[in-house]
Amino acid sequence: MRGRPIVLWLLGASVALCATDVTAMRRLTHSQYNHTVHDLLGDQTSPANQFPQEDFVNGFKNQTSAQSVPPLLAEAYGAAAEKLARNAFRGGDVNHVVNHLAPCRPRAPGDAQCAAQFIRAFGAKAFRRPLTSTEVSRYASLFADEARRSGKFVTGAQLIVEAMLQSPNFLFHAERRGDTRQYEVACRLSYFLWDTMPDADLFEAAARGALATSVSIEKQARRMIADPRARQSVDEFAAEWLRFDRLLNAVKDRRRYPQYSPELVQAMTEETRRMIADAVWNDRDFMTIFTADYSFLNSDLAVLYGAAAPSAEYARVDFPAGSDRAGIVGQATFLALTSKPNETSPTSRGVFVREQFLCQKVPDPPPGVNSNLPPVNEDKPQTNRERMSAHATQQPCAGCHQFIDPIGFGLEKFDAIGGRREKLELKFYNPHDDDDEKKVKTVLLDLDARGGLSGVPGADFSSPKELGNILAARPECQECVVRQLFRYGWGRHELGVDRTVIQAALQRFRDSQFRFKELMISLVSAYAISN
Amino acid sequence: MPSVTRLSRRRLLKGVATAIALPPLEAMFNLNGTLYAAEVKRGVAAAKPQTRFLLWFNGNGITERYWMPTTTGADYEITPCLAPLAPFRNDIHIITGLDNPAARLPGPGNDHHRSMSALVSGSSFTGHGAGAASIDQLIAAKIGGDSRFRSLQLGVSQESFGESIQRNLSWAGRDRALPPEMIPHKLFDRIFGKRDEGWVARKRSILDTVQADAKTLASTLGHQDQMRVDEHLSAIRDIERAITTLPPEYSKVQEPEEGGDMKDWPRIAKLQSDLLAHALVTGQTRVASYMLTKCQGLSRFPWLGYTAARHHDYTHADGKAPGFDGPSGQRIMRDICRWHVEEFAYLVAKLRATPEGDGTLLDNCCLMFVHEHAEANSHKNNGLACIVAGHAGKLVTGLHSKMTGTVGDLYLTLADDVMGAGLKQFPTADRKLSGIAGA
Repeated sequence: MRGRPIVLWLLGASVALCATDVTAMRRLTHSQYNHTVHDLLGDQTSPANQFPQEDFVNGFKNQTSAQSVPPLLAEAYGAAAEKLARNAFRGGDVNHVVNHLAPCRPRAPGDAQCAAQFIRAFGAKAFRRPLTSTEVSRYASLFADEARRSGKFVTGAQLIVEAMLQSPNFLFHAERRGDTRQYEVACRLSYFLWDTMPDADLFEAAARGALATSVSIEKQARRMIADPRARQSVDEFAAEWLRFDRLLNAVKDRRRYPQYSPELVQAMTEETRRMIADAVWNDRDFMTIFTADYSFLNSDLAVLYGAAAPSAEYARVDFPAGSDRAGIVGQATFLALTSKPNETSPTSRGVFVREQFLCQKVPDPPPGVNSNLPPVNEDKPQTNRERMSAHATQQPCAGCHQFIDPIGFGLEKFDAIGGRREKLELKFYNPHDDDDEKKVKTVLLDLDARGGLSGVPGADFSSPKELGNILAARPECQECVVRQLFRYGWGRHELGVDRTVIQAALQRFRDSQFRFKELMISLVSAYAISN
Repeated sequence: MPSVTRLSRRRLLKGVATAIALPPLEAMFNLNGTLYAAEVKRGVAAAKPQTRFLLWFNGNGITERYWMPTTTGADYEITPCLAPLAPFRNDIHIITGLDNPAARLPGPGNDHHRSMSALVSGSSFTGHGAGAASIDQLIAAKIGGDSRFRSLQLGVSQESFGESIQRNLSWAGRDRALPPEMIPHKLFDRIFGKRDEGWVARKRSILDTVQADAKTLASTLGHQDQMRVDEHLSAIRDIERAITTLPPEYSKVQEPEEGGDMKDWPRIAKLQSDLLAHALVTGQTRVASYMLTKCQGLSRFPWLGYTAARHHDYTHADGKAPGFDGPSGQRIMRDICRWHVEEFAYLVAKLRATPEGDGTLLDNCCLMFVHEHAEANSHKNNGLACIVAGHAGKLVTGLHSKMTGTVGDLYLTLADDVMGAGLKQFPTADRKLSGIAGA
């Protein structure tokens, strides 16, 4: 038996979603919240870092189906708003702040005209669209009560800021029709491409009605992509797609890997971030992130990789000709985040490659299956391949594992923190004294690193370099890059109806020799005008 | 209307000026803001205090050989894992043998995901979160409406794989997680933070404005989006209720210091337990959940001397393998399980040391201690190990009972016969268990 339905699901690679899961309204992600309050108020404190953590759904943290507002988050919004509003008016430089936002100087604490100007001006930025007259009067009465109570214009203005930062009009951006539709287009462009609110140019374009056609939208997108803010969105996409969070939270057995430290972890993610940024912003073929025989290393990583020392921290280092390390799957980020504390996990590596790079959903083990492998002991030391033979021979395991484990087997010459190894080193510690070096028994086993991408003819490999070259050439992998960016941009999983958009973007990605900027422009333009 | 009377802080402070010198925990107040101890001194009969429900969780299950007593009845032996509860034998009821059948419903997820969703909600895992509202939230919906907080969610260890089902114990509904507050000084600020009347008035006017915004917005949206805004609205209403019924005693509880080692879980657990006891005795809430470690949690245990691997790694040890899978694997798990019980015992001790009415706070509490698995290594989801503690509703205590039935049966019994929630049903429950609540 080959577990046929499971196999089909695995390779068919699409998850049925019901259309009612689709919502148009998006809550600011924590990262967008930080960037937005920075642009809106000049805040540098990243208040959203204190909010309850976001969940990963469909591989990303910005999926609308996970964006609820439980009371704890609503309270966190309240506390952040209070602090942000206070900071905005701190230091007595009241006129500066007020004048900055409203072209008027209050003539009296309760100056209603100036207050209304302030509400309109600040509100249009906070809500990212002009306020309705109902909204202006709603906030005007909030202002009036407070200004009367305190006898100060500025406390009234501060209250406006605090309230607006908690309004769903600030926290969400919703689908809009009619007059404000183009403001929503501006938001879609800016949150997709910049991870933050629209700038003055975009607001102005929306007000002029200059975001109505695909041509004008694409023109804006090109302008925006040349702006440094686009980097923060690509960084965020890469960090979520490649699950930096798993690496940042990983622990390693300190007896096996004494060099593993928070600084080294930081260096690993920095290397990957720079690899992606280099490909995107220097207009390289994006698929080279899988094949690059160079990387961006600091001295610690160079030691870990056994590579030449970089000329400066994170300068480009070319790997020697015979090196079998290349691309993302040869980087410590991927190799370490898919490993266990003391050993690699060929299964995790296989699942990661299938799900992140080929967009093939790997089902969890069926209920009730004992997923524990036989332990390795001193009497019968085994390699991972030997230990995992049960996966290949027993049902229901083999149905899926035949597609997963062989990928990891091909990467076995790279250990749990991404170092190169010729042999598998098993250490058996004295059960009564973990640290007694003399009592540690070490066994060295030969490694067989023959692996393969099952289901793909001729896709056998035995190193990250070979796997990277296979991936870069696979149409599934190229399409997967498009689909991942779609999920990130749209905030949801792709559906059948999205096929046209995805195929068009893929075509453009291919036609441009895989320029990521072209992919971004194609997707964001489609997103901006989508329903 | 919330039953906490709105007293001005000044008026209150005048009234209880003599009590201020008392150490914080003894300076406890009843629901009207009067000091219980003072009341007792004056010989005033206090009204019967309200009952409280706590759902307590730690991740990754247990190691049965060191946790489960082999004998039942009143003379059961205290096992190594249960040792911290030895002084509280008469306050607890060890219940083993219950099943968690919904964990075996077909669906997405791994064993931990499925067991967790089934454990808290009796429904199958959705692929993201719990399949339905959790038991504490069902109870809170019935009895929490009169308190300042309908319910509170607390947590301690943050180390986890990061998925929603792994990080959350309480669920307002299907896929609607209620994340726990993990930082003691933030929890303090939420419950007892210093506020002046001007602040409250400002907050109220802000929330009124925001509510009006939300209502206008909702009217322009499709159904799904409307539900999202409604959820936001209901969160705003919860906040409004919490701030407009500020407890008069907020200035009496000592604020935990900021800083210190925020990954020192034993320290954080005790701070959280102290705050929880304060919140319960001052009537801030009647329902709480406490997530000591995460589902399939990845805590490290440096204070126990185990730093080579993480909680979940240690569970998959069968006593034969090297490293953390090593011969000491089961003993490591024993120590880890005992630590979890130790933190539970700390809370029980705290509740028992807190006077309320003619007795103690523990007399009015019903604590339900659960894990997502029984034996951790095999992801076992029947024959669970549970502890019910406290004396609310004449809970039967002092025993180890082996029971047949489901954990849902136990929840239903506690909810209806002890807490008076009148749920009448719970998924996976088809009967009430005898021998839980006394006559």
